[in-house]
Amino acid sequence: MNGTPRVLNRILVGILGLLLLGAGVLLVLLASVPAVAQWWQGWASDAYQQAILMAEQTRIPGRQESWLWLAAAALMVVLIVLMVAWLAQQGKGRANLIVSDYEDETTPGEVQIGGGVAEQALKAALAGRPDLAGVTVATYEVQGRPGLRVRVHPRLGVSPQLLAAEVSALIGALDEVVGAKTPVLLHIAGGARSRFSRAERVR
Amino acid sequence: MSTRNGLPRAGGPETDMRNDPGVRTILRRETRSSRAAAAGVAAVLVIAVCIYGLLESALRAIGQPPWLIDPQTAAERIVALPAGVPPLLLGVLGMVLAVCGLAFLLNAVLPGKRARHLIDDPRVAVVVDDEVIASALARRARAAANVTQEQVMVVVSQRLVVVNVRPTSGVPVQEERVLSAVEDELRSMAPEPMPAIRVNIAESGVIGA
Repeated sequence: MNGTPRVLNRILVGILGLLLLGAGVLLVLLASVPAVAQWWQGWASDAYQQAILMAEQTRIPGRQESWLWLAAAALMVVLIVLMVAWLAQQGKGRANLIVSDYEDETTPGEVQIGGGVAEQALKAALAGRPDLAGVTVATYEVQGRPGLRVRVHPRLGVSPQLLAAEVSALIGALDEVVGAKTPVLLHIAGGARSRFSRAERVR
Repeated sequence: MSTRNGLPRAGGPETDMRNDPGVRTILRRETRSSRAAAAGVAAVLVIAVCIYGLLESALRAIGQPPWLIDPQTAAERIVALPAGVPPLLLGVLGMVLAVCGLAFLLNAVLPGKRARHLIDDPRVAVVVDDEVIASALARRARAAANVTQEQVMVVVSQRLVVVNVRPTSGVPVQEERVLSAVEDELRSMAPEPMPAIRVNIAESGVIGA
């Protein structure tokens, strides 16, 4: 439901995986196959000579160091910034408003309804239920529109279809109150919270 | 909101949310892994390597002794491989790297289906963890078999439900009753995809249950 960039995650994780896998396989081959070791020493020392040559050609005037060092350092800084930006993308997408542009000719101006309204109302409605071990409600932005994520942790043995129908009825009531239909995700979740609660215990 | 079911539902075919593109996207995303954990590990790994590289090049630039190894020596050592490192150590190191890489790669490439099913509802997009389905089915199976909760184990996967029952010693369990009870519950639940059911009654019973 959140805005985690899934395709980007797959691509970047895949690239890193390929790099690590390639390096690992190369190391194993170096250790075990003499022919590969020979090839590697030839190829790598050529590349190393080239690098030294390049470093000498790109020397900063008046100093010993090449500006390639600076470029490499800058590249690493950029890489760090990009990685931090990537990390910041995970799990983003929380929204504050559940209704932001209310289309109603009889109401002048614009009506905004905060996500807290729906969150508090649903939490209060589900709070006293004996068949639930926990409820969390959050507002997220889905494709530019607000949407609600309701996560309930039922106790063991609760029929999910009955729970879904009852929450669906509650959402219907919320629609009436708010006056707009937002996409709603109901996640009936298992996990430790349900497993260690009382009632029907099944493993 | 004290009247839990009292208010009328804003229902009707024109307000069906099932074909809403946003809802479809949500359901598609909710049944697959986001790979946020792998992404986090990968990013932290790259950041750590970069910071180390920066540290060593900075030490070199200001003419200080290196912390672990100076970049030029490192490059020379790498060129000289496999000399200078015991082959066993090199091989093990390579294996570890390759396995880590393979784990990342598979994480990225495999479909990453989560252990969840969908339940059809006109208004709300519903995803249910397989664990919850299993515990609901186990409750029905337990009642039908007339055994204690410890004697029933239900495993739910994408396309198959396996119900294992260990009967109480001397009290036979009717397989058809368990099967029909589980079938009944599963039909009213209507998870998508609909799994097949298999009931296993254990040969040996439990004493004193």
